[in-house]
Amino acid sequence: MQINELKTYFFTRLGVVKAVDGVSFELRKGECLCLVGESGCGKTATALSVLRLVDSPPGRIVDGAVMYHGEDLLKSTATRLRQIRGNRIAMIFQDPQSSLNPVFTVGDQIMEPIRLHLKLGKQPARERALSLMKQVGIPQAEERMKYYPHQFSGGMKQRAMIAAALSCGPEILIADEPTTALDTTIKAQILDIFRDLKQKMNMSILFITHDLGTVAGIADRIIVMYGGRIAEAGSVLDIFDRPKHPYTWGLLNCLPTISEHREKMTSIPGVIPSLIDPPQGCIFYPRCGWRMPVCQEQRPGEYAISGEHIAACYLYK
Amino acid sequence: MKGLSDIFGGQRHLLFSGLLLVLLLVFLLDLLVIDRIFGPFVYFYLFFALLIIFYGIYPLYVNRRLTRYYWVRTKRHHLAVIGLSFIIFLVAVAIIGPFLTQDPTEVDFPNKNLPPVGFSAEQAIYDRNTGQFITRETPGTWHHPLGTDDKGRDMLAMLVSGTRISLQVGLMATLIAIFIGLIMGVVSAYLGGWADNALMRFTDIMMTFPFFLLLVFIVFIFGPSLWFIILAIGLTGWTGTARLVRSEALSLRTRDFIMASKSLGASDRRIVFRHLIPNVLSSVIVIATLSIPGVILAEAALSFIGLGDPTVTSWGLVLHAGQRSLDTAWWIAVEPGIMLFLTVLAFNFLGDGIRDAFDPRSQV
Amino acid sequence: MKRGGLQNYIIRRLIYAFVIAFGVVTITFILLRIGPSSPADKYLANISARTQNPAKVIEAVEARYGLDKPIVQQYFDYLVNLARGDWGWSFSTSLPVIELIRRHWIYSFQLILLSMLFASSLGILIGIYSAVKQYTRTDYIATFFSFIGISIPNFWLGIMLILVFSVQLGWFKTYYDTGLPLFSLANLKALILPVITLGTGMMAGYTRYARSSTLENLRKDFVKTARAKGLPERVVIGKHVFRNAILPIITIIMFDLAGVVFGGAYLTEIIFGIPGLGRVSFNAIFANDYPVVITITLIGAMVVLLTNLATDIVYTWLDPRIRYD
Repeated sequence: MQINELKTYFFTRLGVVKAVDGVSFELRKGECLCLVGESGCGKTATALSVLRLVDSPPGRIVDGAVMYHGEDLLKSTATRLRQIRGNRIAMIFQDPQSSLNPVFTVGDQIMEPIRLHLKLGKQPARERALSLMKQVGIPQAEERMKYYPHQFSGGMKQRAMIAAALSCGPEILIADEPTTALDTTIKAQILDIFRDLKQKMNMSILFITHDLGTVAGIADRIIVMYGGRIAEAGSVLDIFDRPKHPYTWGLLNCLPTISEHREKMTSIPGVIPSLIDPPQGCIFYPRCGWRMPVCQEQRPGEYAISGEHIAACYLYK
Repeated sequence: MKGLSDIFGGQRHLLFSGLLLVLLLVFLLDLLVIDRIFGPFVYFYLFFALLIIFYGIYPLYVNRRLTRYYWVRTKRHHLAVIGLSFIIFLVAVAIIGPFLTQDPTEVDFPNKNLPPVGFSAEQAIYDRNTGQFITRETPGTWHHPLGTDDKGRDMLAMLVSGTRISLQVGLMATLIAIFIGLIMGVVSAYLGGWADNALMRFTDIMMTFPFFLLLVFIVFIFGPSLWFIILAIGLTGWTGTARLVRSEALSLRTRDFIMASKSLGASDRRIVFRHLIPNVLSSVIVIATLSIPGVILAEAALSFIGLGDPTVTSWGLVLHAGQRSLDTAWWIAVEPGIMLFLTVLAFNFLGDGIRDAFDPRSQV
Repeated sequence: MKRGGLQNYIIRRLIYAFVIAFGVVTITFILLRIGPSSPADKYLANISARTQNPAKVIEAVEARYGLDKPIVQQYFDYLVNLARGDWGWSFSTSLPVIELIRRHWIYSFQLILLSMLFASSLGILIGIYSAVKQYTRTDYIATFFSFIGISIPNFWLGIMLILVFSVQLGWFKTYYDTGLPLFSLANLKALILPVITLGTGMMAGYTRYARSSTLENLRKDFVKTARAKGLPERVVIGKHVFRNAILPIITIIMFDLAGVVFGGAYLTEIIFGIPGLGRVSFNAIFANDYPVVITITLIGAMVVLLTNLATDIVYTWLDPRIRYD
């Protein structure tokens, strides 16, 4: 899948929030690409834009293209889009408690896409749902199918969401902070499932998170976002071993590690910029310790560092 | 003086209590010694005026920023502003109207069933010369701009009188209901335990009675005088407020700032008055504004079916007369209905606007 | 609660309803007895005025109603009589009250039932549609009309409808014809105006509730999940959103009964001359026929009680979060 110059804006009473302001990247088959950044950097909006799930009264995809197998998803008809959603490209969200409908059983909700896209009858759909539940590691699947979401624990709920997402064998799975709301031990288990999916089913995963630790465990490639734009992109090693963008330096510096001994917690000085009326130049300018005059004048392009490693910073022009 | 004001918790409270005392003395004087210094309603008005001035207007005046904040938010709701303007207009009509119009109870049979200005109706007039009824087109006159009823009473005057009644009833019955509901709710929430249980069971019981049926029942027992009707409406309409206030107070009770107060040693009474009540007040204001139309309609409905105070000209009473003359004098039924409708609409607009203004969730 | 818990809940709720019923009856009794000129006196006055031998009649009535006994005794007798079905004698109609009710309840029932069906089906549909199409012109129109609907005094609406459709246009009779068989088309036609009168206010309220409930649910995350699964929009709204939005709506509709419906039905019956319980009670008031008035008030309260009970149970059953805890 290829995303070209995606721009998603939110038109609010206080102004136009440019949540995604010119983002381009590629998702390859069988790879896990992580979108990383602080809250409000636009990573969720980007993910939602792929399937056009952005809340439409305030939000609108104003520009760009999402190329999937030769067709631009942003321009496809509603019918075509519905054929793809849940079927070829699936998405799961952050909070499984609110993402599942509380008045229907979990089994029902897993079977829903199966019956819709694969057009299976009730019994075969049920069986497929059962095998999916087992695949994601839900014990006593037979019984639990009839349970309601509130009867499941957090980890189980997320597994159920994954099961529903996988039900039609999608090529791409978009996961928006799937482990953020879970306990640490459960986090690890869910990540295992993702790893499994990538390896065994050769699934492409677009994984959104703000937690660099999670990223390290699962990513093949990483894209660091800030202020609705891409700051840096590269392979896992590129980003962790040889980060180039000042923002990435700040992010990695903030990670508390066992090995290092530090006096106090460091954080990036300043605050996240408002995305209404972003400045002309580099959006990281106010907080950057390496800024130059040119940074304020014009927005930096994405400059190649080596191979696929790029950074949007005038330091590398 | 300082010591005294400390007891009352501040100069404002002292002043209020002082004026209240004066009012009470005048009231007693009126009751026992001199006859009728003021009409009965006037004391009610003065009491609530004092209450509102000292505990409503003054705090708002002092806390300008908060007031302006709420005002700006309310202003955004155009409908609410329209409603408020209409209500102000009604209040003006109620206060000075009766001095400008004719006597609503003055019957004028020769001029009965006159249509409003600009309309004309066919009437059967008894012609003394021929001794028969002849039909004649009778146009409206400016002398009775809104027409007359079947006894020749001036419609405009009756509507104005009705405005006064409806606003009085609306204000006072609502205040009574809110007052009772507030006390019940706060006390219940604060005491908790079996007192809370008992009070809530009682509220449940009262809520089980259909409002109107209970109202009719009470009026049936106690008789249809305006005072009783106001009291009755107030005594039957407090349940909703009580419920809401209680649930708000309960949720507030466990909030941190109450516990902080307690840990600083604040007494129970202080907590109730200075912390709980102001916080539930915003909801109460919303409920109050939205209850007024129901109250006005209740009184109108009672008068309409004949259970209202017959000595008082209210809109419902006019409607009652109007139903009989639907085919001959349609305006008798239409006009008071329009007034009722517009009044209720205005309060609904206003209440909705206030509710949106106070609702913290509708922040952008 | 586990499966058995539902039963326990129902039982507890029934007991509670019983307690409330008891309270209702007691309060009615208290109200009656603290009245100034007790209706009983007026009743007596009326009865005795109609007979040749007033003193004897008064004695008999007093004996029958135990008006000469101490208050506590009267209270117990009152309770016992209510339970036994002896609800008094209506002298203005020369019928036992229970018979009076038996003859007239059906008219109230049909009016209320039809009005509620009309109001809830239209109201909910419009409300949901309005919410889904928020900020469009349809939404504003619907909201505006619902404002008007809840502001119009329903008794005035009735009169206006009569004025326009009966007096001016002559499409309907001005007064309800009791001779019509209940399940006939003519009866339905005669009920059109009353149902519109009673139902409009209700419908406006339901539209508002449905709209706000739907709006609230439209914002929820599971809607996004449903769309992400590729479900067509009508399924997202019609199945996922609806099933969540309908729960509070049902409770509100049911609990509204006490405040709005009965009062409105009372007035509608009077205006249109429908001989339902409201009108019967009304006539009884002017005849000072107080057993009728008490009984009908109590019936109103009991119906409300039962509906609340039913709604509580239905809601518990419908919402899986409560049922399986």
